[in-house]
Amino acid sequence: MTTNKIETFTLNIGALAEELYLKCIRCGECLSVCPVYRETRIETLSPRGKVALYRAVGEDTLKVGDVYAGKFYTCLMCEACREVCPSGVELDVILNRVRADLAHSGLMPDSLQRLSETIVAAGNISDEDNEQRLGWTGNMKSTPVGFDHGGQAEVAYFVGCVSSLFPASYRIPQSLVETFEKAGVNYALIGGDERCCGYPLFLNGESERALEMARHNVEAVRATGATKVVMACPSCYHMWKHVYPELLDDGSADGLEILHETEMLAELARTGRLRFKPWPVTVTYHDSCDLGRKSGVYEAPRQVLRAIPELELVEMADHHENSLCCGGGGNLETYDRELVQALPRRRLKQAQDAEAQHIIVSCQQCKRTLLGAAQREKIRIRTLDLAEVVAGQLEGGDDV
Amino acid sequence: MFDPKIIDELKSIVGERHVLTSPEDLVAYSYDATFTSARPNLVVLPANTAEVSEILKMANREVIPVVTRGMGTGLSAGSIPFGGGMVLSLTRMDRLLDLDLDNMMATAEAGIITSELADAVARAGYFYPPDPTSDHYSTLGGNVACNAGGAHCLKYGITGHYVMALEVVLADGRIMRVGGKATKNVTGYDLVHLLVGSEGTLAVITEVTVRFIAAPETERTAQAIFPKLTDAGRAINGVLASGANPSLVEIMDETAIKSVEEYLHIGLPLDVEAILLMQTDGDAADAASGIETAAEICRQNGASEVRVADTPQESTEMWRARKAISGSLGRIRPNKLGEDVTVPHSAVPEMIVRIKEISTKWDLPIVIFGHAGDGNLHPNILFDKRDEEEFKRVKGAVGDLFRAAVEVGGSLSGEHGVGVLKLPYLEMALGPVAVEMQKRIKQAWDPNNILNPGKMLPEP
Repeated sequence: MTTNKIETFTLNIGALAEELYLKCIRCGECLSVCPVYRETRIETLSPRGKVALYRAVGEDTLKVGDVYAGKFYTCLMCEACREVCPSGVELDVILNRVRADLAHSGLMPDSLQRLSETIVAAGNISDEDNEQRLGWTGNMKSTPVGFDHGGQAEVAYFVGCVSSLFPASYRIPQSLVETFEKAGVNYALIGGDERCCGYPLFLNGESERALEMARHNVEAVRATGATKVVMACPSCYHMWKHVYPELLDDGSADGLEILHETEMLAELARTGRLRFKPWPVTVTYHDSCDLGRKSGVYEAPRQVLRAIPELELVEMADHHENSLCCGGGGNLETYDRELVQALPRRRLKQAQDAEAQHIIVSCQQCKRTLLGAAQREKIRIRTLDLAEVVAGQLEGGDDV
Repeated sequence: MFDPKIIDELKSIVGERHVLTSPEDLVAYSYDATFTSARPNLVVLPANTAEVSEILKMANREVIPVVTRGMGTGLSAGSIPFGGGMVLSLTRMDRLLDLDLDNMMATAEAGIITSELADAVARAGYFYPPDPTSDHYSTLGGNVACNAGGAHCLKYGITGHYVMALEVVLADGRIMRVGGKATKNVTGYDLVHLLVGSEGTLAVITEVTVRFIAAPETERTAQAIFPKLTDAGRAINGVLASGANPSLVEIMDETAIKSVEEYLHIGLPLDVEAILLMQTDGDAADAASGIETAAEICRQNGASEVRVADTPQESTEMWRARKAISGSLGRIRPNKLGEDVTVPHSAVPEMIVRIKEISTKWDLPIVIFGHAGDGNLHPNILFDKRDEEEFKRVKGAVGDLFRAAVEVGGSLSGEHGVGVLKLPYLEMALGPVAVEMQKRIKQAWDPNNILNPGKMLPEP
């Protein structure tokens, strides 16, 4: 059985592999930016090491097994290495291919396999009743108007699993709908009809399963009448914007405009539909990998922050294209929790060195990761989502 | 594979997790930044000097080769375990131990990343000048073991000029401290500087004390474009002889320019033969007058365009091109052999002409860039190792390159080290007597020949 798995794997790796791995000249530049390498200092886990493993299989000097699989799932998929690689090695492409081959050969690690099964069975990442996706609306002052769209909405708000189902993140969707309502945005909520965007499945190497999610979610959004979809989660955003069009080659996702909360908030601020109270603090902005490097959205969140009177925005040592991953990406949290708990320290240190009072993110996963680490490390620095900042600092808002 | 008893013994020294034996790990520790590779039998990652000592006692007893490695970004195949044995990775030993501002010296474990040490020094308001291009992805211990240079060496000297003291573990496991914080010290042989550049063949460097200097108040950068390479060569000598006192003079030839432009798209001219990058530093007035002098000399020597950066951002942008060259070459051909021949600076134009001839003779693209101010050129031969006939020509070209360097009065290696790749040419460069004396040193320090065997010197 195992032998067959390995043979399948070797077969799949053949085509194109050479031109992917031969680009690596082993200079080592990726070692300076890879969060996993910077923490572990183990070459086998580095981007250069992964290319070498891929190559060794391609050249038939290494057999694929569980250990091999583990190395390829020990990655945040943050793409920092791709950004600095002078030779243009596409490690993300290599990883997607290897993970797909591993998944198809039954070599995906058990913890990730369980995550996949949960998503497929429950429609969300945390094995909740999918109807509980509305839990976050429970303690709001008034029921969000987004439920009564009557099929006439302009924008569908795709809330995402973490914000829907993790109580510590509820404040993000609450803030966003409060802001939409104050600004007069005609939006719709999909509630229990929303399913996981499929990104964790895609990261695990299971595009076919991700495609099922994509089909369902596009249909659910179409039912609201909206032609725009907004999300606060950069991973959902990256999935909808870049992966759905590739997966749905029947064109069913055509014509949908995909927006991240930061883009929508920036537009509302620019057109004078958001009026802010002064907030005399020094903050830094943390670029998430899926929104920044993978989607090129860097300025929108900063424009919103600069629109708040008396706020001072400072940058950390690594920012924009060179932003340092919080440690929460790539399903690594599911695979190696201990490692992921160690990763955010470096980022928190950068925020402290920049003398920021708050870290502003626009990603519920970055918020969870950085907040959790700050609590563990007893570092007095708050992490807030941009949506929370905006809702709190709007004229008439409850402060942050 | 090693005897399981030996593996158990190693695990008892460093802990189970820090002995790597999976085939995957052996692949990952089989290479450096060159095109060659060979897998070790195992990898051991000690946490401190005492563990290194225990490991070496065992290795010496069992006569097991020990190949010490930092981040594996060397350019001479010096940390590749060709004869198998164990790779001793010092990357876990990465602490900055002391920043002594009174004496202006820093002490760190060998595995610290060089730029992290330099950044700590800079945050305190001082300057650690040695700056190999890989300073963000190489270790201080590796820099010392290869006596790494860098662009700033023109004015400030190389790594070895900053090393004050070392803690090393000898082949038999004894721990030795040499040097100290006294800036003058002629008590006994200068063992510090015997160990600097010894490429892991004499001892394992575990701790390094370097000095640092006052930070220059400001830096100024200029970029000069030369339609003719020989004019650039003349300009370099002119600038060095002037009072400009440049801290850096770097050259890129037309192949390097094209390669970088294709990668970065920053508007470099594609119809010229050379670009010179120059930097001056010091107080504002000195730096400014120096860079103007250098710029004027370039204009007088045939530069078609000379730009002096007005802002630090502009300066950073100019340097971006130079820093990107080495990596960008992979876009042209899958393999490169980056040499670091160094010649008297007056011979730079002649050496460049000879390299061009070698490129034509062997029908191989050779990109030339490097630290022209100190005569340290980086001719990079681009090739595809899968093409056996082409690889033969590469070997021929390398031989010619080294002969040319020696003939114009230069050396095989300015900053990468001998490793394995330059070994066949060692006697040509040093002569038989010097090679013999070096072998005797090796014999005295490492009688069982366990430390990085087969590197730097012909096998006994």
